[in-house]
Amino acid sequence: MSLVTDSPVHSSSSDDFAAFLDAELDSNSLVSSPDEEAEDEESNDEEDAEDDKDLESDRKKRRKVEMLESTLEQEESTSQGTVEQKTEVSVEVDICQHPGSYGGMCYKCGQKVEEESGVTFGYIRKGLRIGNDEIDRLRSTDMKNLLRHRKLYLILDLDHTLLNSTLLVHLNPEEEYLKSQADSLQDVSKGSLFMLEFMHMMTKLRPFVRPFLKEASEMFEMYIYTMGDRPYALEMAKLLDPAREYFNAKVISRDDGTQRHQKGLDVVLGQESAVLILDDTENAWTKHKDNLILMERYHFFASSCRQFGFNCRSLSELKNDESEPDGALASVLKILKRIHSMFFDELGDDLAGRDVRQVLKMVRKEILKGCKLVFSRVFPTRFPADNHHLWKMAEQLGATCLTEVDPSVTHVISTDAGTEKSRWAVKERKFLVNPRWIETANFLWQKQPEENFPVSQTAKEE
Amino acid sequence: MFFHIVLERNMQLHPRHFGRNLREHLISKLMKDVEGTCSGRHGFVVAITGVESIGKGLIRDGTGFVTFPVKYQCVVFRPFKGEILEAVVTMVNKMGFFAEAGPVQIFVSNHLIPDDMEFQSGDMPNYTTSDGSVKIQKDSEVRLKIIGTRVDATEIFCIGTIKDDFLGVINDPTTI
Repeated sequence: MSLVTDSPVHSSSSDDFAAFLDAELDSNSLVSSPDEEAEDEESNDEEDAEDDKDLESDRKKRRKVEMLESTLEQEESTSQGTVEQKTEVSVEVDICQHPGSYGGMCYKCGQKVEEESGVTFGYIRKGLRIGNDEIDRLRSTDMKNLLRHRKLYLILDLDHTLLNSTLLVHLNPEEEYLKSQADSLQDVSKGSLFMLEFMHMMTKLRPFVRPFLKEASEMFEMYIYTMGDRPYALEMAKLLDPAREYFNAKVISRDDGTQRHQKGLDVVLGQESAVLILDDTENAWTKHKDNLILMERYHFFASSCRQFGFNCRSLSELKNDESEPDGALASVLKILKRIHSMFFDELGDDLAGRDVRQVLKMVRKEILKGCKLVFSRVFPTRFPADNHHLWKMAEQLGATCLTEVDPSVTHVISTDAGTEKSRWAVKERKFLVNPRWIETANFLWQKQPEENFPVSQTAKEE
Repeated sequence: MFFHIVLERNMQLHPRHFGRNLREHLISKLMKDVEGTCSGRHGFVVAITGVESIGKGLIRDGTGFVTFPVKYQCVVFRPFKGEILEAVVTMVNKMGFFAEAGPVQIFVSNHLIPDDMEFQSGDMPNYTTSDGSVKIQKDSEVRLKIIGTRVDATEIFCIGTIKDDFLGVINDPTTI
């Protein structure tokens, strides 16, 4: 082998060209090449059968030649600088940082790239991969564009947020009536209940979803991000956006994420400081909780209720649905509008340095502003109270939480009307409310009428 | 580039097709199997133009299937580095645009779009010059140069550029 690589005859470029032809031409060359090789390398007897070795040595030769040439060039340029044009060309090729790749080729210079850096953007096009620096560059240029159009990013979850789906086999006898009520798939823009027989599924869009998308699209660049698989996500996008005006190639499914069972903003080409997320599952967004607006789950089908452990009758069984004007989507749209106007209109001129996460926190803090809460028999004894999720939630909503009653307290949160603090609340004419009052306020982004959340008498006294 | 070449393939035929129409069955099956596929070596098989010869069939033990070696002429399409192609834009986004020339998907990144064209988002994303005279959007026809190809067993990836003389939009759908 060493003999072959070192022999001066083979470092000529014509040999190189022959090797190139071999690789490019059709199957005939495979038959003829050993002969050629044999002619070329008469000195070597072992060559006959070993095509692989031939190829390998060819490759080595080529590399060697390239190296030789480049060193030559360098020497020349340093000594005299006569062959300027030549060096310029080579510099231009070397300088490509390979910002990203499509099908394994750099999309700037067309060379093959091997290294596996960056993030795959399979939801845009199969084989597209973008390096981290390029992502940063795209994000910052896009950001300027976006702010000029007074828009932010909005990531939307599908299941339980915008719609509810069930497998046809999971429909119970009480829900069979839905099959006859399903809307036509010919013109999906009008209907809200669809039977997708080819996917064995039935899908109910959440009430108000169409006006919601229409209005939100004026304030946001919208993405779909679902834990469902890709075909399902695309099918749902078709139902939600039949004219394809909102989610043009911005549908991300679980196949596109970088982490299992997690959703991440790394596959979204938008700066985190301008992204809002609507989702019903907090755990999916562990790294981006500050961007998240948690949604009340939409359970239309009985199977979906059961899946989450509710034993109540589903909306479909009750032949009922969420209200259009006061449902979860309508209330969240108000919040989005509020955040949008705060971001662009109320906070001065420095748009570039603004962070929507801060704005989100400020809006949230207005909800229970001025309320002083005391909890009674809500936390287990010995549980560090300020670590409980209700406590934290109340503080995020702008309320002040206390451990003991005092005259400034406005609300007592209790599950039991018989406790000392509850009785104190009744006596002092303070509000006595169920913990669900806080949770509901958190979901609906609005302080709720206290009388809707009475505290029942305990089972103990009954 | 298109090529008219002769290829060979071993076809398996079910015994129920044996009879007068054996040859027709064999050819229709060949068309169904081969047309529209892609091979790493030859590129896309666009159409079969004729059958040169059908060899002797070999009966498979157990199944009764018969294998025929078939030689056929076909038109194949394979893009090459440096080739100039005319393509239709299928998708425009902030990274660049995708275009297709027949079965071949070509990606032109924003690095290889002339610097005076800027991305405009919206429900019809596009690249437009500052004076608005040239616009690339979905369904535009462009002339581009291939600067890189990778041919897989099943598909062909191409990188293209329009940052060169005489390249770019050749037909704008909005002006028709």
